Amino acid sequence: MRVSLADCALETVRYAAHAASRSARVFIRLDGPGTAVVELEPTGGCTAAGAAAAFRAELADERLRASLWEANRELRDFMLLKALAGEPEKAPARQDDSGLTPEQEKELDALIAQVEAEIKQEAAAGGAADPLGITKTWEDKYGAKKSRRKN
Amino acid sequence: MAQKKAAERTSRPGAPHLLWRRDGDRCLVTNDSGHYAWLGLRDFEALMSGGLSDKHPLYGDLAAKGFVRDRLDFEGLAARWRSANSHLASGPGLHILVLTLRCNHKCLYCQSAAAGVGARDTDMSPATARKCVDFAFGSPNPNITIEFQGGEPLLNWDALTAAVLHARARAARAGKDLQLALVSNFSLMTVEKARFLMENEVSICTSLDGPADLHNRNRVYSGGDSHAATVKWLRYFQEKYKRQVPEYRTFKPSALLTVSRCSLGRHKEIVDEYVKLGLEDVFVRPLAPIGYARKYWDRIGYTAADFAKFYLDSLDYILKLNRSGVVIREKMSATMLEKVLNFRDPGYLDARCPCGAAIGQIAYNYNGDLYTCDEGRMVGWDGDDAFRIGNVRKDSYRKVLTGGAARACVLASNLESQPDCARCVYRPYCGVCPVYNYETQGSLWGDMAVNDRCALFKGTFGALFGLLKKPANEAVLRKWVQK
Repeated sequence: MRVSLADCALETVRYAAHAASRSARVFIRLDGPGTAVVELEPTGGCTAAGAAAAFRAELADERLRASLWEANRELRDFMLLKALAGEPEKAPARQDDSGLTPEQEKELDALIAQVEAEIKQEAAAGGAADPLGITKTWEDKYGAKKSRRKN
Repeated sequence: MAQKKAAERTSRPGAPHLLWRRDGDRCLVTNDSGHYAWLGLRDFEALMSGGLSDKHPLYGDLAAKGFVRDRLDFEGLAARWRSANSHLASGPGLHILVLTLRCNHKCLYCQSAAAGVGARDTDMSPATARKCVDFAFGSPNPNITIEFQGGEPLLNWDALTAAVLHARARAARAGKDLQLALVSNFSLMTVEKARFLMENEVSICTSLDGPADLHNRNRVYSGGDSHAATVKWLRYFQEKYKRQVPEYRTFKPSALLTVSRCSLGRHKEIVDEYVKLGLEDVFVRPLAPIGYARKYWDRIGYTAADFAKFYLDSLDYILKLNRSGVVIREKMSATMLEKVLNFRDPGYLDARCPCGAAIGQIAYNYNGDLYTCDEGRMVGWDGDDAFRIGNVRKDSYRKVLTGGAARACVLASNLESQPDCARCVYRPYCGVCPVYNYETQGSLWGDMAVNDRCALFKGTFGALFGLLKKPANEAVLRKWVQK
């Protein structure tokens, strides 16, 4: 079988030959600079016509693969480099369950600090006195709730 | 303000890089990010020439999967590839400790070519076992699995207990996730040993080749009935698994099937035996002509076509059982489906690219010698140290991982450099085995055009993609890999 190297590269013929080697021994030689001669020696139960048809089908697919590869080499390199250079997967950060945004957290911290400062000021000004007992708990003032159950 | 009009396309964009296989009037296409699609031949040709209209019913799906060249989501596709290949940067996670080469069985196919029970010089010492554990913890992988194998590892109980206790202590100090696994024929199991294993959260795996006559024919045990011992302890661990205690986790026991020539034609009985014993996975594995099995291949082996028939018959029967409500999976299919349907690494090191040799797993022989994998160790035991990568007492982790054998295996199992594999439609999900290639074809690279393992993998993928086309099968198969 003669294959014009104007239609496909010698490497393409070689790959097709490799794929066809499932059903035949394949020999490739050059006949001048522009033609490859492919000889097929069927193995197993394959016929010569079957081996030739298989090679032709592989060669057509191989030409398509070669053109696809050429057209996409840069895109593919870009995608794989992006994948390799990307940040490795990290365990997801522990979720804060307060439901507050970082801004709200800051506001809350500021509010707490302000209240603490006011309490300190009041204490320093003698505000520790509690004539109405408003700082006492309910239980401190009225005692713990008693069970109604009869023993 | 009026929007700027999109530039008119001056030429057809063609297809992006993809892989394909023709199958009658349909064509299967896949890509680097693990997506796949079935196309009619006319649609395939339209896609390849850039003539697939954006009004075509398949256009949206193909674009989302990265099959349309001017609609590529680089971020998404790259992230998917990175996620599926994250193991490339983690270091070996599986560490196989061969505690002894002694075994009380003489299995027909035994790849580890076990030594006789009296050959104590093939026992790993407790000190070497601890050294192996230290070496395993030298891996940067945050998840360490230590698997105890033999021979029969229960014949070297001292080294087993030393390694288990040391590993648990090391894991607690290092803050690493540790999984311990024992592969045993159960013939020497006792309640005391079982309790120690459960208390230390060691998962248990055994061999089960089918019903009693088949199992005992494959797994010759002069000390008694191998099948009876296997069944007895499988049931024991099943019961313990069902009755969990708060102090520790008890794992469900599992079993491995090895298909010898005697198994061919008996797929139903084998699967039924697994179902009867409450096992949820049956791993239909071909026998590999490596080491001892290679020598006796003419007696115990079979052709790739014989195995493919056995495999497909088994899978067909398992699917039938699933449709009638029985819970059982075929493990090889489940592993491949995890890649095809979820594009996640199932941890099956034989089907990674590059394969797991050294960079994913290390096998530790009884004397502290390190091998790329257990198969490599078997070749070593047969007199060829091509896959030896060092010794646990003499060599540093760095030296072992950057040595010649480790590098050669990485290069040889890179599918991008294999002439057939680089173009194969199943490349995104597949992997080659340099040890298999070396043993069967005389080169680490092998010749995939006439490689039986390649034929088996292609057959398996072909069958799975075929089954996925039918909704009833697809529903069952998707269930196998749902998480």
